[in-house]
Amino acid sequence: MEIFLKYLTLQDPNVRYVALATLLLGGVSGAVGSFNFLRKKTLVGETVAHSMLPGVLIAFLLSGVKNPYVLIIGAATSGWLSILLVDYITQQSKIKGDSALAIVLSSFFGFGIVLLTVIQSNYGGEQSGLDHYIFGNAAAMTPEDSTAFAWVSGLVLILVLSFYHSIKSVVFNLEYADAIGINVKFIDGLISFITILSISVGIKAVGIVMMSALLIIPPTAARFWTNRLVRLLLLSGFFGALAGWLGAFVSYSQVSMPTGPWTIVIISLIAFISMLFAPKRGVIYQRWSKLLLKRRINEENLLKTAVQNEVRGLGKLFNRRSISQRQFFEQRLWNRTVRRLRRKGLIKKVHTGFTLSTEGRSYGAEIDRRHKIWEIYLQRRMQMSINLVHDEAETMEHFLTPEIEAEILGELGLCSRFNPLLEIHELVPDTPVNAL
Amino acid sequence: MDAFWIIVTGFLVASSTGMLGNLLLLRRMSMMGDALSHAVLPGIVIAYLISGSRASVPLFLGAIIMGVVTTLLIQFFSSKGKMQADAAMGTVFTFLFAVGVILVTKYAGQADIDADCVLHGEIAFVPLQTSSFLGLGVPAPVWTLLILLGFIQLVFWVGYKGWLLTSFNGEYAKSIGIKTAIWHYTLMAATSVATVVSFESVGAILVIAFLVVPAATAYLITDNLKRMTLYILAQGLVSAVLGYFLSEWVGGSISGSMAVASFLLFAVSFIWSKKRGLKSPL
Repeated sequence: MEIFLKYLTLQDPNVRYVALATLLLGGVSGAVGSFNFLRKKTLVGETVAHSMLPGVLIAFLLSGVKNPYVLIIGAATSGWLSILLVDYITQQSKIKGDSALAIVLSSFFGFGIVLLTVIQSNYGGEQSGLDHYIFGNAAAMTPEDSTAFAWVSGLVLILVLSFYHSIKSVVFNLEYADAIGINVKFIDGLISFITILSISVGIKAVGIVMMSALLIIPPTAARFWTNRLVRLLLLSGFFGALAGWLGAFVSYSQVSMPTGPWTIVIISLIAFISMLFAPKRGVIYQRWSKLLLKRRINEENLLKTAVQNEVRGLGKLFNRRSISQRQFFEQRLWNRTVRRLRRKGLIKKVHTGFTLSTEGRSYGAEIDRRHKIWEIYLQRRMQMSINLVHDEAETMEHFLTPEIEAEILGELGLCSRFNPLLEIHELVPDTPVNAL
Repeated sequence: MDAFWIIVTGFLVASSTGMLGNLLLLRRMSMMGDALSHAVLPGIVIAYLISGSRASVPLFLGAIIMGVVTTLLIQFFSSKGKMQADAAMGTVFTFLFAVGVILVTKYAGQADIDADCVLHGEIAFVPLQTSSFLGLGVPAPVWTLLILLGFIQLVFWVGYKGWLLTSFNGEYAKSIGIKTAIWHYTLMAATSVATVVSFESVGAILVIAFLVVPAATAYLITDNLKRMTLYILAQGLVSAVLGYFLSEWVGGSISGSMAVASFLLFAVSFIWSKKRGLKSPL
């Protein structure tokens, strides 16, 4: 706790830059990654990050110094080339996007490894640290690095804000954006530009793989919580920043723990938790709502069949066997469904079986009514054969809302009190379609 | 003699991974090689920690199990968790890689293992591990790779029809009652085995390159799956030879040079196919 407070208050000057830099880096890459995420091009980051290695090394060879700005320019240049090459390959041949990414990744990185080994055997001490561009080294970050992150964050923010609407259109609907006169190529390049920018400043701190993870995972996690672009960007940036900041803390409080990998583990945990617990899109919510739906369908089927039996003069008393003649219920399912219906007061237990309560009867009749309405609709409007409409209606009866029902009734010219407790054959004789 | 064994190793890796890369390419899963080669790291480290040795068998087992786990996780996240398919893959493999790096750092004191050596195995060391057989000094990795190649050839040709069908027309295959999921997992398991076995001797980067580049080269030249496998073998052989001499010339990493050579061959076939106007959408 004490150490956490110490970290929080930034008393230690060493940690100040690292914490700030990882926080900025996580935030920026989280937001930038959202655009690639929405275009289903998340793995572009992985290829670009790997492809930067030769650029860094060539920049070093040409300049002879390890000036971070020179190396960043080198990295960005070869990252840019790799994107151009991927696009060129996919446009000019039958090679698909994923293969093009893998081809460019492996050849650029292979070339980088060749250069690295050549440099390592020909240069002495001045080359050491270049391999940080593969695995990253956040602890070695200097105040200059944090300043660079701050500049990049500011630049990305300005670019995103000034082109927000165009980016939004391009990300969601490329053809539409093109049609309304947005310069798609320019926006495309802009997204690539900010992606490359954030990767090129980030790889030295967290390494290639961790950098691509920072672009992929925060938007993946954020996507579970929202459907809106603004919120996705903010949330993704927030998750990235949080993970970066906590990752730096783990590395600070534990001896010799790397920042990058811990950042990724933390952001992954955020993603897993989001996947499980997020409302609406989370796994648990979805499972639960599916279960509720199944239960409701079983209950409705039982009530409807009981009502139909009553109408057909089979008596008010029903049990599993009499219901199963029309709607099969397995014993355990029957027990559970009956238990729930009794608790809701929709059916009552009578010595030899069950009867519907008044509410249960009107509920069942309502389902039956929807079934018929849908059958008539299918037959008249969709011109489906009378033999086919029943199965369709079996499912739709559970999903018709009162609004849709009213609309259908209006369209069919039936009054809203329409209540056909009759079979469809009795109700609609085979009317020729053109007579309607 | 060293040169010979290095080239043989390169060729064996190219041919065994290339065969699988062929199928990955057709199924649009080329980045899987990259994902698997990163994701198996924790498996290797854990196997190392449990067995306490750098013997190949436990490490292989650890890596292979991890490879299958990775596939299952990706599948689970995208189908049950409703994650976008590419994002599910990216999340899973980077997460596992991060866990692996943390484990390596944590136990670095006790273990003589580091991420660098696991991922960037060097083909140049292959001739150093020679064991004598029939009076012939054959390096150990060559044996393992030969067995691997045999295994993959067997799996490939036994499953040829199934893969042909499920790769080109998954919906049709499903409709005539073929279990597409089984084919998918077999391919993934085989890919993890091949990835792991090969990158122990040549390093991850060359595995990723050989998984996709020879297949892509062949894909540009022909539409016939059988002919494709033939071209892949040829591509692998030429890249191994060319790469070796390239590295001799510049004095750099052999694995890296072979990857570059492989790309050069791809570039040639790319230009050739463009000239011929082969751009049939498949």
